[in-house]
Amino acid sequence: MTRSFMVGAAALAFTASGALAQDLMVPVGEGPFNWDSYQAFADATDMSGEDLTIFGPWLAGEAAAFENLVAYFNAATGAGATYVGSDSLEQQIVIDAEAGSAPNLTVFPQPGLARNLAARGFLEPLPADLADWTRENMAAGQSWVDLGTYANADGQDEFYGFFFNVNVKSLVWYIPENFEDFGYDVPTTMEEFTALMDQMVEDGETPLCVGLGSGGATGWPATDWVEDLMLRTQPPEVYDAWVANDMPFDDPRVVEVIELYGSFTGNDDYVAGDANATATIDFRESPLGLFESPPSCMMHRQASFIPAYFPEDAELGVDVDFFYFPAYAGRDLGTPVLGAGTLFAITNPTPAAEAFIAFLQTPFAHEVMMAQDGFLTPLLSANPEAYANDTQRGLGEILTSATTFRFDASDLMPGAVGAGSFWTGMVDFSSGTKDAATVASEIQASWP
Amino acid sequence: MDNIAGKKSSLTWAVHLSVAALVIIWLIPTLGLLVSSFRTVEQISASGWWRALFPAEQNLTLRTAPPETQVQEGGVFVIEGNLFAVAGETPTQISAFGISAREVSAFAPGDTAELRRGGQITVATNGDYRLTNTEAFDGDRGARVFVTATVPPDFTLDNYDYVLFSGDARDGMGRAFLSTLTVTIPATVIPILIAAFAAYALAWMEFPGRALLIAFIVALLVVPLQLALIPLLSLHNAIGIGKGYLGVWLAHTGFGMPLAIYLLRNYMAGLPRDIIENARVDGATDFQIFTRIILPLSFPALASFAIFQFLWTWNDLLVAMVFLIDATGETTVMTRQIVELLGTRGGNWEILATAAFVSIAVPLLVFFTMQRYLVRGLLAGSVK
Repeated sequence: MTRSFMVGAAALAFTASGALAQDLMVPVGEGPFNWDSYQAFADATDMSGEDLTIFGPWLAGEAAAFENLVAYFNAATGAGATYVGSDSLEQQIVIDAEAGSAPNLTVFPQPGLARNLAARGFLEPLPADLADWTRENMAAGQSWVDLGTYANADGQDEFYGFFFNVNVKSLVWYIPENFEDFGYDVPTTMEEFTALMDQMVEDGETPLCVGLGSGGATGWPATDWVEDLMLRTQPPEVYDAWVANDMPFDDPRVVEVIELYGSFTGNDDYVAGDANATATIDFRESPLGLFESPPSCMMHRQASFIPAYFPEDAELGVDVDFFYFPAYAGRDLGTPVLGAGTLFAITNPTPAAEAFIAFLQTPFAHEVMMAQDGFLTPLLSANPEAYANDTQRGLGEILTSATTFRFDASDLMPGAVGAGSFWTGMVDFSSGTKDAATVASEIQASWP
Repeated sequence: MDNIAGKKSSLTWAVHLSVAALVIIWLIPTLGLLVSSFRTVEQISASGWWRALFPAEQNLTLRTAPPETQVQEGGVFVIEGNLFAVAGETPTQISAFGISAREVSAFAPGDTAELRRGGQITVATNGDYRLTNTEAFDGDRGARVFVTATVPPDFTLDNYDYVLFSGDARDGMGRAFLSTLTVTIPATVIPILIAAFAAYALAWMEFPGRALLIAFIVALLVVPLQLALIPLLSLHNAIGIGKGYLGVWLAHTGFGMPLAIYLLRNYMAGLPRDIIENARVDGATDFQIFTRIILPLSFPALASFAIFQFLWTWNDLLVAMVFLIDATGETTVMTRQIVELLGTRGGNWEILATAAFVSIAVPLLVFFTMQRYLVRGLLAGSVK
């Protein structure tokens, strides 16, 4: 036993030396940040000696980026906030909440789980004025409030979830120099997009790389396709009815959209490799086809986080760029944007937890995250200059200028569908073993 | 009847061959993992590990130096250099090159190609290029050149550097290593201590209900530990242990106990009755019999269970996540550290392969120092 205590003591010594090494990313007062909001927050808040635990889904680089923000919170308030990430947050937070050892703040990767925990009474409502604040200060504010409002244990609606870090899904990635070599122009309407695909096929090239593989979650990239196409062929009200199952999943309109998805990706001419085998290609590897020599595809439709899986030396905005997955000019549905995002909820209330939520309301907190890769915000008061590069800035603009913003439907549907039969159904459809109508009625049958 | 005793079977060679074949089949995935751990992520996604061992013909996309390096020679603007030097790659031989994604191997080395934006480029076999134009080159990037080259095998130690030395002391692999030892050593020793006493009692002490008790313990082997996670953690929180080393030691002890008692009891029950009865006749107490006779004789079984328990606690992530790691980030274990290195969406193959070899180093050491007991212990209770 002595030995293990000595080892424990050594581990403690390591911890102590590490705490000193936590530096601020940028010295206070420098860079395109809103330091006034930081200073005002720091002056108004004193949390000296308070501990705060934050539990979230971010790991590795994304965790390091968020820890930079936590360091500013600690510097401003004197609190001792720490962040811990986990890849199995969905399971672990349920265990911890049930057993009564929940962290103060939890970052939920999607609203479904937060709604579930709210209904079981494990979440604490956010301060009363935060919903109004969100409505006023965020682009498409009402939709963020709706997405963060859940029924509590008594069935009363309360505002629980504060959205922070949003990603945009309606994007197509391409290599500008390849487009130059072939003389292609970036399409601005869906009609141009399909014409461009046909042009590529005519030139002997392959338009799309599609990869649906994602371990246990295989199939989700196809659900994003379907959702994006739904927003481009049907009005947003139909999308909402579909998410809520007021319109059944086997409605002809849904079947039509699934078939439309099939017309993009079920065709060997359009898709690199075997069009029936897209489920065997990992979504992290499929964009690499763009960078091959010769390129095995010209375009890749994927969310704003995908550059993390591009080759290390590919420079965003120069070597590789994106365009908005266009809408049909003939349908007059505006420029719909599909997205997803993470939300903060209080799982174990303390003054420091509320102070951190207040910190997230400062433009400064968003700007620090924007200055690092992979963070987008709908907060209107955040300075776009803070974005790390033009590509990020362009993505941010898509978000703040969307005429319609809709959240990833599969994240909003019940887990049995959104993280189950919708995924597997799309895999069955993509591999050609079932047709769209069969898949749609099977998914409808699995709706709880 | 030729091959009964004293004579080797004529089929020995077939046995040896099939054993060798099975060993190779078992080792191939490990070998693949080992090779992958020395490759970069681009290499892993570009080709299989078995190709990494030999030179391969590849299409590369390289770039000339940017226009700012151009010099004027007479009336001509020139950019010169070596494609591999610009990209920082190992120099090799070029068999073809191209200037458009349309045709990546349109020209042979030494040919001159007309650039679409104006100017000519010549690329030599060794990657030396010369770009010429009558007007100044503009833009801030060099021209893309696609080359077909034979690339020699290329291995890197970067993955090991990243896994072992990334992060500061606070969240590095070194701290996780110490934490894991802090978890595994007590979590191996405590169950053995308790189970040895219990096994002796169940094997050699007469008391009513003994057979039922044994059956009950064996029955516990089939209960999945996941069932107990939430109730046990609530209990720990209620009695004030919370999340921490004590909690994870107790949890590992509890989860390991049925197998430990079962294994040790079966072994002890197989020890010769005569020795124990002799000791009783000579006036030894149960405790003396246990410490002086049973424990030394049971060493193989104890050692083999120690290996089992050590490996299981070393590789464990679930129990550590539930009972040890809280949101303060003060505690971690190697398995969690590895998961964290894999990134938010997982799939960092090169890290996975490397981490696997880092993580099995200690279990391998334990296994090889104690393996002669393992086989003996495995047979405990099966044959006498």
